[in-house]
Formats: sequence, C-alpha cells, structure tokens
Amino acid sequence: MEQQETAPLSAVDDPQEQAGFTRFTQKVDGQREACSQLQLAGLYCSACAGVIESALQSVPGVHRASVNVSSARAEVTWDPERARPSSFIRAVREAGYDAAPDLAAPARELRTREARRGHWRLFVAGFSMMQVMMYATPAYVAGVGEIPADQLRLLQWASWLLTLPVLLFSAGPFFRGAWQSLKARHIGMDVPVVVGLTVAFVASSGATFEPGGIFGHEVYFDSVTMFVFLLLGGRSLEMRARHRAASVLEAAMARLPDRVERLNEAGEAEQVSPRQLRRGDRVRVQIGQAFPADGVVLDGQTRADEALLSGESMPVPKRSGDAVVAGSLNLGAPVIVRVDAVGLDTRHDAILAMMRDASTQRPASVLAADAVAGPFLWGVLLLSGGAALAWSFIDPSRAVWVAVSVLIVTCPCALSLATPSVLLSAAGALAKRGVLLQRLDALERLATVDTVVFDKTGTLTEDHLALQGVNIQPAATGREASEVLKLAASLGVWSTHPVSRALVATVDQQDDPHAQLPTAQWEAVNEQAGEGLEATDALGRVFRLGRRAWVLDGALPGEAADQGAANGVSTWFGLRGEPWAEISFTEALRSDAQAAVQALAQRGLQLAILSGDQPARVHAMGHRLGIIQASGGARPEDKLRALADRQSAGLRVLMVGDGLNDGPVLARADVSFAFAHGSRLSQLHSDAVLLSPRLMDVADALQLSHRARRVIRQNLAWSALYNLVCIPLALAGYMPPWAAGLGMACSSLLVVLNATRVGHLPAPAAQAQPPAGAGDLDVASTGAESGKAASHLAAPAST
Amino acid sequence: MDILYLLIPLSVVLVFMIMALFAWAIHSGQFDDLEREGERIFEGEAASLDPDQVKTPG
Repeated sequence: MEQQETAPLSAVDDPQEQAGFTRFTQKVDGQREACSQLQLAGLYCSACAGVIESALQSVPGVHRASVNVSSARAEVTWDPERARPSSFIRAVREAGYDAAPDLAAPARELRTREARRGHWRLFVAGFSMMQVMMYATPAYVAGVGEIPADQLRLLQWASWLLTLPVLLFSAGPFFRGAWQSLKARHIGMDVPVVVGLTVAFVASSGATFEPGGIFGHEVYFDSVTMFVFLLLGGRSLEMRARHRAASVLEAAMARLPDRVERLNEAGEAEQVSPRQLRRGDRVRVQIGQAFPADGVVLDGQTRADEALLSGESMPVPKRSGDAVVAGSLNLGAPVIVRVDAVGLDTRHDAILAMMRDASTQRPASVLAADAVAGPFLWGVLLLSGGAALAWSFIDPSRAVWVAVSVLIVTCPCALSLATPSVLLSAAGALAKRGVLLQRLDALERLATVDTVVFDKTGTLTEDHLALQGVNIQPAATGREASEVLKLAASLGVWSTHPVSRALVATVDQQDDPHAQLPTAQWEAVNEQAGEGLEATDALGRVFRLGRRAWVLDGALPGEAADQGAANGVSTWFGLRGEPWAEISFTEALRSDAQAAVQALAQRGLQLAILSGDQPARVHAMGHRLGIIQASGGARPEDKLRALADRQSAGLRVLMVGDGLNDGPVLARADVSFAFAHGSRLSQLHSDAVLLSPRLMDVADALQLSHRARRVIRQNLAWSALYNLVCIPLALAGYMPPWAAGLGMACSSLLVVLNATRVGHLPAPAAQAQPPAGAGDLDVASTGAESGKAASHLAAPAST
Repeated sequence: MDILYLLIPLSVVLVFMIMALFAWAIHSGQFDDLEREGERIFEGEAASLDPDQVKTPG
C-alpha cells in the first residue's frame, strides 16, 4: 500500500494503460465518453460508498460515479476532454481511501453480460410459462364440449405464440449445446432435452393448426415452457455460484496492479505499467516484487520463487545471464533484468485463464452423467419409437401422444439436476463461510476421505510468529532492548524471510504507526540464502541479522549460551562477530486447532502432521494436539513419499497446508485445502482455499460433504425410481403428455428443493480473534477436555 | 363470452410488453446489485428530492 501511495499517478493517464480499465463510447452528439473501472481499498461499510461517490463526482469532468461496496469497485463515467484517471484516483485518495485501475474489468464485464443474459432468458421462460399455464387451465378443468371449439383454438394459438420466444430464445443454450455435442460426434445431456422439446413442440403445433390431423388434439405447450424454465433455473443457479467464486478469487488475486521500474538509456528509473514494457527494456526488480516479464538477469544475483509456474518449491538461484520468468518472485536482492518477451499483463492473463477454467470445468459426476446420456438417449428414442409403432397397430390416434409422453417422461431433467444442484448448493454454503472450492468435484472426493494430513507452520499454527523475548548479549550491555529491536527490524525490512517479516511486524505494532523505521541508514544490504542479512551502517560498521553462526561469524560464543526457544525460532542480531541480541519468536497455535482436531478425530479420521520443521518441535505439537503420527524434518519430496505411501495403502488423503512448501504435495493429495495467506501456488493447486483463519472450517466442510453425498444419493434414487415407475405407465398409454410433463416438473422441483437442504451451514463458532502478536498463546493450557467447540473457543483469547 | 376474442389477444400483447419492460430493466443493470439499493437509506447527505424542503433545526 505504501508503494502505491508513492507511485506516480501519471502512469494511469497513458492511453495504453487506460485501455485496460476504460471503455470509450461515442455519444449521440458526437462527444466521447469514457467509463473506467476502479478497484477500491479501505471501504468498511456502505456509508463509505456515498463518501467516495461524492468525492468522485466533485472532480470536474466526471459525469457519474457508482460504487459497489460488496465488491469494492467503482465505475466512473467521465469526459476524456476534461478529466484524467489520475485526477479522480487522487480525489479518492484525498477522501481517505485508495483506488487503482481495475485490470480485471473486461473479465468481469463479460460476467455481468452473461448474468444479465441468463436472467433475461429465465424471465422470458418463466413469464411465458405462467401465461401459457393460464391458457391451458380451461382445457384441463372444463368437461367435454363445455368450451366452444373456436375458443379452445384461440387459447391454443395464444399458447403457441408465447411458446415461440421460449423455444427460440430461452432454450437457445440447449439447442446450441446439443448442436455442439452432435458436431463433436458425442451425445450429451442436451440432446435428449432438445429432442423432447422439438417433438413436443412440433406435435403441439400440428394439433393447433390442424386439429384432428396426424398429431391429434393434444397440445403440450405448458409442458414445454415449464420444462425450459426449470432447466434454466438450474443453470442460472449454477452460473451464480460460478460467478461468485470467480469474483472472490479475482479479488484475492488482483488486489492492485503492479508498477515496474524501467531504466532508460541514461540509467534513470521511471515507473511504468508492465503493459508498456517492450522487448529489450531494462527493468529493476526489487526484493519481493514479481518479475513483470520473461527476461534475462543483466546485473545482480538473486533467488527467484518460481513455485507458481513450475511447481519448484525451493527458490531458484539466479545469476547474471540466467533466465527469469514472468510472475515469479524476486526473493534475494534487487536485480536488473532485460525484458525478452512480454505477453499481455501476466497477472491479467492469469485471472482470465482462471476464469476460463472455472467456467468450463465440469465436475466428474456431470461428466459421468454425460457418458451415460448416450446409451440413455438411444434407449429413449427406441422406446418411444417402439411405442409409436406398437400403438399404430392398436390405436393409431394415440400413437403420437404415447411417443411424446415417453419422451417427456424419460426426459433426464431430474437426473441431470440431481448432482450439480447439490454440489452448487454446498459450494455456495461453503463460500459463505469463506471456503472456496476450486473444483466442484472435490466435494464428492472429500466425502470419501479417511486420513487428514496437516502441515504445521501456518496451518496448525498462526501464519505469523509472535515475539517471545529479546535476550541482550554481553556485547550490547547497557542498550535498551527496544532500541536494539528497532535497529534489527530496520534491517529486517530488507528481507522477505518470515522471521524478518515477523520482526518488522512486531516493531510496527509497538510504535506508533507513523514512526518510520530508519531503513535508509543501511548500505550494501546483502542477503545470503539460508544465513541472514548483512549491511553497513552510516558509521561503516557491519551488522548482521540471521542465524547464530552467521552473526558470530566464527567468533567464540560468549557466556550467554543459546537459550534455544523450544517452541519457536530465534534470530540473532549484532555486529559481525559480536552479537547484540537473540530475538526469539514463538509459534502460536491457531485458536481453534484443538477443537478442529478433536472434531475430525471424532469422525473416525486418521490424523497426521507432516512438517519440514525440527522433529522435536513437531512431536511436541503432535503431543499437544493428540496427534500420534507426527513427523518432522520432512523435505517436500519426503512429504510426497509419505503421502504416496498412505495412498498406496488404500487411504484417501486430505492435505491441509499453507502452500509455502506444499504445492506439489497439495497437488498429489486426493483432496487439498490451503489457507489463502499462503503462496499463490497453493491457491492454484489446492482444491479449496480457506479465506478465514479458522481450522474448524475443514471439519465443517467435511461434514457438509457427507451430507451432500447423502442428498445426491437420495436425488439419484428418486429420479431412477420415477423413471422406473412412469416409463411403463407411459408405454401402456396410461399417462397423457400433460401428466408426464407435470410428473417430470415435479420430480425436478423435488430434486432442486432437496438440494437446497444442503445449503445450510451453522454459523462459525463465535471466536474472539486474539490480537496479533499477543505473545505466547498456549492453547494446551486452556484445557483439552472441553467437548463443546463454541465454549472452548471462547476461552483462549481471554486467558 | 365473446369478450374472450378481445381479451386473449390483448393478454398476449400485454405479456410481450411486460417482457420488453423487463428486458430494459435487466439490461440497464437494475438487478446487478440488489443489496446496495436497500442500504442507500442509511447514506447521509443525499440531496433532498424536494428543492423547497427545508432542513428542520435539531
């Protein structure tokens, strides 16, 4: 955020940059109008929306501004002649919020269009269905000859007219789907649907315009419209769940766009957007920044985290001449990179790709349903054809309607809704709790899991370390602990190592937030992988921060021995060879870890901890939580092997990790959960992302998956039973098409309503969040005997 | 019951008109964000609808 504040705003005024988040339109009077999408930050409630809107509207040249609080976005319509994006972004900042161009806007606009179109189709189908049913009612309730024939014809014509838009417009997706699957020489679920619709409509049209002809008297317009409406209802539920998941992910992935430091001929740096980069440009990439493009390191030596792209979990050393890839993180030191290849903005591309995946991927069960649809369709066609043939001998006047009844009654509507409606309803309930499913079928696999493997750091424990103590060494006697801490933190700012970050965070919290750390005094900052930082201060003294051996640098340790934090990690700080202080941190257990582990154990699941941390510490943690299988010192490949061993023993494994070193392991597990604060790799490779810090959500998701599986089975059983009972009836001619349509619709409705039962999750257990860095939070001391999660969880924060 | 010959065609026309109305409403974004409109009442400093309206003291 601080970097955004200082980043020059002029870059957003660049026409090329503007095109990423602005749409230009020509108004009737020839004036150009621009519509920009902004991503906002700092919103707390809906009242903020009003403040930002009025701030935006007070900028000269801004026509309209509307703020959406739930998605933290603003849409600004402005006059390109009179306003600039930088001017209204500045206005938002002056109002006390932050704004940045929203580069994911095109993707979202696509979603809005899709949603509007979906609603429109659904509305047309629903409204027509209502009206057609009204026209159909007299024919059902009146006795023979009670309605004059010409009035009956009038009602049928009206029904026909209102069924047209339903068939031609609302049912469009089904026809398109069927056409595409036929083109691919593969029969999908859409094909039987379309055949049923077409036959029913053609037969009804025939009966309407040529009563008593080969199609008989019966019309089935009500069945047709209701059928389309119900199917579309299911699809629109599906679309909403998909869009919600995509937008939440998008917000997590693309907070604010990046800036790049480009060096010009004279070697001066200028801030530009990654879009403006061209082949051959030289850019300086700071520590912790992502490489903006594919390129070659020209100057400097660093390590890159390529986990996102290659799955390589360890940082890769990069020297001058080595290639770096866009999107990987620079971890070691600032380097200068020559740009070799630029795509579109990489992050933007990633979002688009993810959205495409999310919208095109289909759960395995739906694919399975598609696979049976082929034989099913042939069966249905043969059955109805056979029925028509048989009845043409018995009673030719009933042949067509029996065939249509069979087609309608066998329509796989309920069957095709049975699984997806349950999965979506469950996914929606989980999303409300902050558990995002990346793959819907993960839910089905989750129900079969019998082993849960946890990573330790960041999963069972909080992702931040809490300061335990500062142990001043003899060399620094007389110095204030807080002063030393502050000095160490000012050096720690240069590193992205978790301990350094914890150090900086601790100092930031202690002081008033406006006091700046004296980071500028350091010169020649150098980070040595696995060792620590080294820097020279203004007086020319060499300071080191990192491992004990690194700070001691061969000097003999003083009397103050390494106290060795049993529960955590410690870092050393001081002059080279002359340590000033040992700063120790402790890992805090997640406040609901105990309760979650208990809940999982009660379900009869095997639990295990696999951690790269020191074995002693991992065993202590396992003992505390009552997990017997706790193994530490595991490298990523060890973890993979441990997982594979369990899987070859026939166990189905759920892996819960934070993703820092777990990427490949998460991908290997049957089902994987990752906390959202983890690296982006885990977000991409895990089946579900936990947005909340609650470990209990894992147990709840597991419970929900079992419930979902139960309901899916009920649904499948119901639709199978329905077909078994109704097909013989229809074949025997006991079921007129209207009854078939009614039965079909009712069974679909039943399936959808049954699915909504899954969508209710109890509210998360009331949990007071411990203040960050509140020191040692030992959950074990709060008692493990408590059976009730809620009362148990309320306790720790107050102790 | 001859009135049916008028009413039924009329109802068809009415249905098409209502559909057109909803088409406009959906595509102008009225159903995009349903929460915001309900919360608008809590936002202060809205311009008063009636220009003659005077703020009552206190």
